[in-house]
Amino acid sequence: MNWLYGTWAVFEKDLRLELRSRYAVSMLLLFVLSSLLLVAFGLGPVTVSPRVQSALLWVVILFSAAVGLGRAFISEEERGTVLLLRLNTRGSMVYAGKLLFNFLLVLGVNLVALGAFILLLRVAVQAPGLLLATLVLGALGLAGATTLLAALIARAANRGPLLPVLLFPLLVPLLLSVVSATRAALPGGNGWREAGDELTTLFGFAGVVITVSVLLFDHVWNE
Amino acid sequence: MKETQAGVDVKRYRLVRNVVAVWLTGMIVAAFVRDIPRLSILEHTARNLYFHVPMWFTMMAAAFVSAYHSLQVLRTGDLLRDIRALQAARVGFAFGLLGLATGIVWARFTWYVGTSIWWNFDPRQTMAAVQLLIYGAYFVLRTAIDEPHRRARMAAVYNLFAASTVPFLLYIVPRQMPSLHPGAEGNPAFSETDLAPAMRPIFYAAVLGFLGLFWVLYTQRVRLARLKHRLQGDPEY
Repeated sequence: MNWLYGTWAVFEKDLRLELRSRYAVSMLLLFVLSSLLLVAFGLGPVTVSPRVQSALLWVVILFSAAVGLGRAFISEEERGTVLLLRLNTRGSMVYAGKLLFNFLLVLGVNLVALGAFILLLRVAVQAPGLLLATLVLGALGLAGATTLLAALIARAANRGPLLPVLLFPLLVPLLLSVVSATRAALPGGNGWREAGDELTTLFGFAGVVITVSVLLFDHVWNE
Repeated sequence: MKETQAGVDVKRYRLVRNVVAVWLTGMIVAAFVRDIPRLSILEHTARNLYFHVPMWFTMMAAAFVSAYHSLQVLRTGDLLRDIRALQAARVGFAFGLLGLATGIVWARFTWYVGTSIWWNFDPRQTMAAVQLLIYGAYFVLRTAIDEPHRRARMAAVYNLFAASTVPFLLYIVPRQMPSLHPGAEGNPAFSETDLAPAMRPIFYAAVLGFLGLFWVLYTQRVRLARLKHRLQGDPEY
């Protein structure tokens, strides 16, 4: 099978299943919105500094991703469709298809989270383009790191809270860069000039994580 | 390979153990007794360098050994390699804890003296904490899978995946954050200001001694783990 065609087929299958049940989307959105509301209520009418604002935004996004993205492979195990998928496609197609789906999912949720965050925490954005670039690169790194680990925990017995435990230590470099880049886009930041290094780091992180995932994925996928 | 079949060469192990014991004793006595140059602020706390820095070198070496054996698990599926990766990670974890503890206590009374700060988000300190978290996650992941071959492979994948993010913590993040550690912002580590020439011999001896101690503990634990599996009647070990 053509590699691109196989990747697209896996992606399309996941998208259709998602549109049918809307399980992952509604779970992620509700998680993000309720935790942002909690943050907003916790802070009350206090306006916090841009540094704190960007840290809060990304912690909420990271937690929601860790809760929601683990489903990608667990649902295959639960429905018993792993064997069929393994027979009909190569490992790299499955990985790429799932990565694409997870990336779009995280990106969509990030955009909604950003909107809610701007409204609830009274954030003024200075460089919208930079913020958007940060969001896209951050989502790419996040999805890249999560997809392989999701396949990994689908093989474990007690999988409930396992994903956050495995994921968060690996995301520290991502979190540090993404928070700095977001802060540069908020008032008081220097915009693109300040965030150049951070964006390069994010790009490199996503690249390394996805490359290593492709190399390791077959060991997780094939028994 | 002889070693993968027979596990550990006991004769060589005993020899190295005795050499390391004598070597470390001598080094520790020398570290406390020998005179050192008095640098401003540092004074006698400079002796911490003999212990803190080798702990870090040892942890990194252990991480390297662990990742190497994880790679071999994926290539050969040998369960002994899995034991080796796990035991290297465990001993490395202990050295990491000691390195973090010596660093925190030392920084409290030199860098942050006069304040009540114990933790100041120094990049290397953060990186160390993250490395410990990664190993924590690695141990947790192992408890979640029962089938030995699958556990070996999944743990190896996680270990290698985690190892790929470590360069970001080691080389990229420290250069983007302000740090008091030597080696940050372009100033070379171990320059005249933090490692006086008179201290070098003992420092190098300490590095060798602690690496040797790692080897002793690691081989010991590999043998022990192997015997445990054999006692349980596992034919594969």
